Amino acid sequence: MINNDAIEIAARAVDLALELGARSAEASFSVTQRFHVEARDTTVSKLERSTGSGVHLRLWHDGHRSSVVSTDLQPEALRSAIVRGLDQLQYVAQDPYAGLPDESGAYHGDLALVDPSIAVRDDADKVADALALERAVRAADPRIVNSSGSHYSDASSSIALANSNGFRGMYSTTSASRSTVPLAQEDGAKRTAHYGTAGRFLRDLEGNAHVAAVAAQRAVEMFGARKPPTMRAAVIFERDVAAALLSDIFAAVAASNVAVGNSWLADRIGERVGSKLVTIVDDGALSGRLGSAPFDGEGVATRRTQVFEAGVLRSFLYDTYYARKLGARTTGNSTGGGIGANNFYLEPGSGSLAELIAATSRGVLVLDTIGFATEHATGTYSRGARGFMIENGELAYPIDEFTVAGNFPDVLAAVDAVASDLRFDGSTVSPSFRVAEMTISGN
Amino acid sequence: MLDHDTLTRLLERALRYGGDYADVFCERRRMYGFRLQDGHIHDGATSVTQGVGIRVVTGESAGYAYSDDLSLDALLRAAEAASLIARNAPARAFGSIDLRREDVPPLYDQSRADHAPAARYVDLLERADRTARGYDSRIVAVNANVSDELQDVWIATSDGRFVHDHRPMVTLGVHAVASARGERGSGYAGDGGRTSISYFDDHRPEALAADAARIAATNLDAEAAPAGEMEIVVGSGGGGVLLHEAVGHGLESDFNRRGTSLYSGRVGERVASELVTIYDDGNLPEERGSITVDDEGVPGQHKVLVERGVLRGYMQDSLNARLMGVAPTGSGRRQSYRFLPQPRMCNTYMPAGESTPEEIIASTTRGLYAKSFAGGQVEISKGDFVFMVAEGYLIENGKVTAPVKNATIVGNGPDAMTKVVAVGNDARLARRHYTCGKGGQNVPVGVGMPTVKIASITVGGTADDQQ
Repeated sequence: MINNDAIEIAARAVDLALELGARSAEASFSVTQRFHVEARDTTVSKLERSTGSGVHLRLWHDGHRSSVVSTDLQPEALRSAIVRGLDQLQYVAQDPYAGLPDESGAYHGDLALVDPSIAVRDDADKVADALALERAVRAADPRIVNSSGSHYSDASSSIALANSNGFRGMYSTTSASRSTVPLAQEDGAKRTAHYGTAGRFLRDLEGNAHVAAVAAQRAVEMFGARKPPTMRAAVIFERDVAAALLSDIFAAVAASNVAVGNSWLADRIGERVGSKLVTIVDDGALSGRLGSAPFDGEGVATRRTQVFEAGVLRSFLYDTYYARKLGARTTGNSTGGGIGANNFYLEPGSGSLAELIAATSRGVLVLDTIGFATEHATGTYSRGARGFMIENGELAYPIDEFTVAGNFPDVLAAVDAVASDLRFDGSTVSPSFRVAEMTISGN
Repeated sequence: MLDHDTLTRLLERALRYGGDYADVFCERRRMYGFRLQDGHIHDGATSVTQGVGIRVVTGESAGYAYSDDLSLDALLRAAEAASLIARNAPARAFGSIDLRREDVPPLYDQSRADHAPAARYVDLLERADRTARGYDSRIVAVNANVSDELQDVWIATSDGRFVHDHRPMVTLGVHAVASARGERGSGYAGDGGRTSISYFDDHRPEALAADAARIAATNLDAEAAPAGEMEIVVGSGGGGVLLHEAVGHGLESDFNRRGTSLYSGRVGERVASELVTIYDDGNLPEERGSITVDDEGVPGQHKVLVERGVLRGYMQDSLNARLMGVAPTGSGRRQSYRFLPQPRMCNTYMPAGESTPEEIIASTTRGLYAKSFAGGQVEISKGDFVFMVAEGYLIENGKVTAPVKNATIVGNGPDAMTKVVAVGNDARLARRHYTCGKGGQNVPVGVGMPTVKIASITVGGTADDQQ
């Protein structure tokens, strides 16, 4: 896809919407080439290579709005979808905040979002990469006797956006990842673990040997796990689990939730909510990161927004609509119909996870969680978990089949140590951190 | 969507290096819906997604490529990309492929070609909003959405099978937030199935909205859930999430063929209390998890997973069935043409037992009554699961007492199923619309269960009165 073609497709869709009666319109067009290989034992168990594209339109007329998605780019198909969307729009309530952004634009620097070596990488290399990871993880420990596969995948995308105020923008991105899911067996018991790495550049990926070693370690170290006692104790969230907590915090600062009463942080701007260690940033203009882009889903330049500063809630994250509704300014977090994270992260502290563990006399290290129910309206958090009991600064024994629970206001206020191990392997990321006290439910 | 000649040509191109099997999955999905927020219709959405996925299977390997460009050139390129998996496979000559149309008796209306007039959908949302707000003065926010989807799939296989399925799906959901004294509580209710918007003539939005508002108000008044091990009584209907997580996923054939499930190689063994029987059924008319044919063209089936505590069989897609030497069970499902099929559940449920729900509650000294669940998750190799209680109450001395909020329950599948000590006579399917996620793919499912009691399980709340 030549870049100008992508912009042209988006611009033509906008023109078509105006011609059919929309007062204003916005269209994004994206095309993505995806590659995925899964190796299991000595065979290539999955090989996928595809190109997908689609157009997403937003239509407005006198404060009424609707949206249209189509993967069918034939003019007559697009026309009939838009007609349908314009008909729907008449049933939508008039809303003074609906409409195109006032401040379209794009970040001007080079964000380094494309690794040219991904597009030219030979399929055979990628296949060999996944097979090598699978070999490495099976060789890492004699108890690794099986796996759910080792993966390499990459993608190259072009995203174009046009609107009826004259905005035209286009950017390209690449990404790549590798991961493995070994299964360990001991005395008839089975344990799996997952570990992976992702980035915009191949050189950002952790190597196969490291990925295999971490995954294997996480599978075998859980043998002999028991339920911990029910107690209140310090909890250390390892960075991947910590990132999932950051996703919950993101949901509570997304203006779309704040505006409808579905956030425990509503009405608390300027208040001290977290401990001094809680500094959380959303930054769409970080060089080379997975959450970076020159403009957001409605053509607003991305930027850095301080969400929490030393525990004080400074800002929610907005798109144009919710910014108007809540009397604020957009922070460049539109996904084109919703609000999404750019690079949303907790500022790292100092010291390694190992040092954090060593500084904990009694507590729980959480390495994995299952479940997903966080009540954003109330900030209540509860997950099934597995990890280690910490006694006198050492990992005493593995534990599983327990829950870790708390209320976000209490949890953030009790963050008393943050490690330095932040890695940008997604758009919502976190270093490991410790909460002074949470509820552990076990025996 | 594609004619027989094109389909045949794609299958032949896909098998140019050989392979055991190939299929072409053509899909057109039209979605139409509205959302309500703040007492007003907030927006409307229309989407048309269509494309073709082409798969080649050789041994335990699958090559896959999709295209949303339906031009012959683009489709042939996809067939070639899929064919590469068999490049180093032993050569195998395929005879000419002669596609024969197979008609399977449908489980839902095949004739509806379009959505209803917009006003019908808008009316449902506005009625739901009015009822939820009027239910309790403490209801401060109501969000509701309605969607109507028509999915057409055409599946052509190198075995010569050609089937079409036309799958309707309507969904109505209401989320209510109650607030007072700086506290909040939220409630959700949803319904729908493979039918049309007329479904809500009988299943009225007022009832759904009242349920969402009632749960929100209940949760506003609720105490923090207790923490620790206790008896649990799981409510009928939505309690079926327990079966889906604690047992169902572990019986999907991909995990079992690969030996990564704790249930691998255990057909015929006792895996649960004698009181436990579990079915997975793709054949229930108009249910959300039903499929006339699965996404590999195999008719949906009624499967016995566990019978009186004994493991009877797995849910099979075609690739794993062939490698395990058994027949597929109509369990091959995919989110869309952009994904390879996986063995998945349809409607998973437990038939009625003999106890009355009242007896079960009365027999419980101290425990949790989990009336409905918001969802759950399981780890396959060891069987640890969690599920999240949407509406829960304490049971004290045989009586349901105070509501508790935000309880998560954590347990181990085989352990919990062995501790089933009572099964109620009130079996029913949940009316809530559940979606199951696996390997990055979401598919609609149903669950059902009678009231069930488990002797001991860990409840993960935050209440300070620990045991």
